[in-house]
Amino acid sequence: MKHVPHRPFTLAAAALTAAALGLTGCSSEGSGGGGGGEDDGTFTLGFAVGGQPDADWQDLQGDVAQALAEQRGWDFVELSNDNSEATATTNADLFIQEGVDLVMMFNGQPSANPVIAKKYEDAGIPVITFDIAQEGWYFVGVDNAAAGTAGGTALGEVAKAEWDCEVDLVISAEGTSAGQINEWRTGNAREAVAEVCPDIPEDAYVSYEADGNLTTSLQNAPGVFAANPDAENILVVGINDQAVVGALQAATQLGRDDNIMGWGQDGGLITGDNVDPNLAGSVMYFLEGYPAFAFEIADAIAAGDVPEVKDTGDDAAVSVKPCPVSQEEAAEVPSIDERVAALADAEQGTTAYDLFCPAAAG
Amino acid sequence: MTAPVTAADPAPSRPRRRPPRADARSSAGLRDALTIAAVWLLLGTVTALVRPDFLSTQTLLAVTFTMAVAGVLAVSQGLVVISGGLLDLSLPVALILSAWVTVSLLGAGLPTIVAVLAGPLTGAAWGLLNGLIIVYGKLNPIIVTLATGFGGLAIMLVLFKSAQIPSGSELRAFGLGRTLGLPNVFWPMVILIVLTGLAVAYTRWGRRMVAVGGNAVAAKARGLSLPRTRLAVFGGAGAIAGFAGVLFCSVNPSFTPNAGAGFQLIVIAAVILAGISLSGGKGNFLVLLLSVGFLSTIPVSIAFFGLPPAWSLVFQGGLLILAVGIDGYRMRRSAR
Amino acid sequence: MTVDIDAGRVPLTRRLLANLNGPVGSIALTLAVTLIIGAVWVGPRYFSASNIEIVGTSIAIPLIVGVLASFALLAGVVDLSIGSMVGFGAVAFNQLVGAGMDPWQAAGLTLLTGVAVGAVNAYVIVGLGAEPLAVTLGMLTLLRGLCQAIVIEAPPTTLVEPLYDLTQGSIGSFPTLLLIAIGLTLVAAGFVGKTRMGRAIRAVGGDARAAGRVGIPVARVRVIALIVSAVGAALGGILYVGQLASASNILGTGLEFQIYAALMIGGYSITRGGVGNPIGALLGLLVVGAITNILNVQFIDPDYLDIIVALILLGAVLLDRIRGGDSFE
Repeated sequence: MKHVPHRPFTLAAAALTAAALGLTGCSSEGSGGGGGGEDDGTFTLGFAVGGQPDADWQDLQGDVAQALAEQRGWDFVELSNDNSEATATTNADLFIQEGVDLVMMFNGQPSANPVIAKKYEDAGIPVITFDIAQEGWYFVGVDNAAAGTAGGTALGEVAKAEWDCEVDLVISAEGTSAGQINEWRTGNAREAVAEVCPDIPEDAYVSYEADGNLTTSLQNAPGVFAANPDAENILVVGINDQAVVGALQAATQLGRDDNIMGWGQDGGLITGDNVDPNLAGSVMYFLEGYPAFAFEIADAIAAGDVPEVKDTGDDAAVSVKPCPVSQEEAAEVPSIDERVAALADAEQGTTAYDLFCPAAAG
Repeated sequence: MTAPVTAADPAPSRPRRRPPRADARSSAGLRDALTIAAVWLLLGTVTALVRPDFLSTQTLLAVTFTMAVAGVLAVSQGLVVISGGLLDLSLPVALILSAWVTVSLLGAGLPTIVAVLAGPLTGAAWGLLNGLIIVYGKLNPIIVTLATGFGGLAIMLVLFKSAQIPSGSELRAFGLGRTLGLPNVFWPMVILIVLTGLAVAYTRWGRRMVAVGGNAVAAKARGLSLPRTRLAVFGGAGAIAGFAGVLFCSVNPSFTPNAGAGFQLIVIAAVILAGISLSGGKGNFLVLLLSVGFLSTIPVSIAFFGLPPAWSLVFQGGLLILAVGIDGYRMRRSAR
Repeated sequence: MTVDIDAGRVPLTRRLLANLNGPVGSIALTLAVTLIIGAVWVGPRYFSASNIEIVGTSIAIPLIVGVLASFALLAGVVDLSIGSMVGFGAVAFNQLVGAGMDPWQAAGLTLLTGVAVGAVNAYVIVGLGAEPLAVTLGMLTLLRGLCQAIVIEAPPTTLVEPLYDLTQGSIGSFPTLLLIAIGLTLVAAGFVGKTRMGRAIRAVGGDARAAGRVGIPVARVRVIALIVSAVGAALGGILYVGQLASASNILGTGLEFQIYAALMIGGYSITRGGVGNPIGALLGLLVVGAITNILNVQFIDPDYLDIIVALILLGAVLLDRIRGGDSFE
């Protein structure tokens, strides 16, 4: 191990690093270089998308927000919370360093929110949070509790009409890492089903972990059906459409799909050409359209007219109206990509609910 | 770790290279098979004692359905392991990339046969990429596939957010159908495991591959080309993972780039439980049917016990530790 | 590594040069290139106090976990379960404190679970002779399952003020925790390079049989290394709770790969013991942290980060191989 001539290696290392970093150069177009830390007086919006790998609407929220910010001539910077509480916390430091005037975010791992809130409070930056409430932050979102109830009620009504409330099994496809949201959406849905059909026995309600995505749901659900072999009329509720469809697919694989109906949440899989035939409906929140609601607050803040903070689901800054749709009604709703395009072009103050919810169109 | 040790120490292994061979291997395979069958039976008996309705066609359907994709992936991983390629940690990428290509082609209106063939081709291309880096960089496969595994996931996240198989397609109909009372996707997995098991044990090609895995130095001395074997194995294993991708998208109507992550552990556990040792060169693919079946029964049993599914992770992890512990203990005893 | 055996006799300048020539040298160069790119592309604010604080805060805990896990790598027994152990340690600590336990007591208990997990890993790997990769992969799954089984509802918020100040605070403009982590790294580097124990660990990882022949207790070294690795991860979990004031059931997912990728960039190997230096771990984490930060402050899609890290990782191991290191066949 004498001194091997090492220059080629160090050169190679340098070249490789340069090549790797060159990649970042290619991807930088459109980001606008971040705008710099110094404040040039332009209103700067920081937007943190959720970054959960199973939810395409999270990135689309960023796209809509960017379009709306550009309409107003604001600076726009975007980070991803990467579905990680540690990253979400670092992102707060980054936005504070960037000197943004307002932050909007979806944070699907909210356990660090109190710490994040403390940071923003010290920096004096207002925050608009989507769907997951935090003290001191403007809450824009669906009233998750109401959405759960709406979905459960709708499903219960169908069961009453079709099966005269003779239900053998109510399956709840959960995503426990979402914490309270999971409880609101699935728990309230179960209660609402029980409200409409009070004669369903208590032990007919079973839950399993679907992790909020179809693949995991489909892996875990077959056992649930096998463990309840005598159930004929089956209802499925869940934290989102993916979880519910995973259960419906498992039922199909086990030949249990003759009498099964699911009602999803979030409308992720209720539009388009490939809707599961047993997904009776879903509660659409038009998640991609949240920024349109949030900009009502943002406009006021930018104008110097800071509105009062309303930070709970019951007393929300903007309460997104849940829009329960049956599968037939959903056929009229444009796909998520079309909705994003339409929202970006819509005049200020127009929300996704006004544009797309069948109930509002009437 | 074990592989480099054997490679660096050709002397002690040479004298005992010839005599044990086929006999030792088949008896070890039989013992592995019997052990897993016994544990599987135990799990079934305990569950059935608590819940007699466990023994039903519903359970059979649930288990066989869960086995399908994992079983095909286990064959892919098993080939890499038995040939001395250590492990392919980028298998989830091969799976999902192939599934995405398949549904994209179906969505573009191409004939089913083209889309279905594109799956294994994509997987083979991915495997070859790994193989080329490993062979020409002379790099350890675990490190290479670790890097291509998370790099590949990132590339997929740039390429697509979620993918859906057209609901009217023939492939989708296949994924929803049943043959002889069991899910359609189950049968290709069984056929593949049986064919691979026979091919590895009885063809010259298979025996060469196992020889390379058992003692690369000796195999090289006998004139076998290590680079060619590595490329063939990684390409072939990739093609099989791509085939798993085709089965995967036929049953998962909508999936995301990250959807393959959940298979990683169960597949490695199935391979090790089946007695396909990580040090290469030994194992019987037919035993995979038992190990995959056993591991796929765990989540179903968990549901019958009414436990939350998180416990199936606990049991699967614990069983893997137990299995490799017993395996290590046995190898150490027989080495003495 | 052969250079170090007669380190005492080689002049200091020669030794420094030899170091530059090794993995630590090329990673230092990579870091320099990264910093130059940052300086040119981002501008002076890349080196602003607040930015250093951001990078420092985010790499401090991985550095502590990584340096303690590096002993297992060095001894030739990779521990893949550290990410899940960080999560499990965090969940255990957070739930215990949330249930009203005294934080010190809870921290003690959490570290004990680390000892227990490390001991189980060690028993199966060293005692029974099983493949470390397979065993710790099983432990990774088992611990993640336990996290999910424990945290079903939203986890409690537990802001432990002194721990928060320690993990988020800074001395001047330098993050306190990073100072501690760097201190730990230097101590570890001294231990590995200068003490007999350190040399024994490297000898065990380099060639266990040869080490056994010269009377080094191979089994004991590996057992201790695995326990240190797991306890380090448990400590990391506690620190994360300090930083985030809570712990979800996915905390630490994939952290093992992020840490080992950085360690391998810094000259360690997960498939071969006996190589690597804690300074390399620090530099490797700094490189990844610095690149992450460039992408962050330029607001670029983080997906590109993993692609870049994968390329740098492959480049680093290739470089190491060309230099005469780990060659596969």
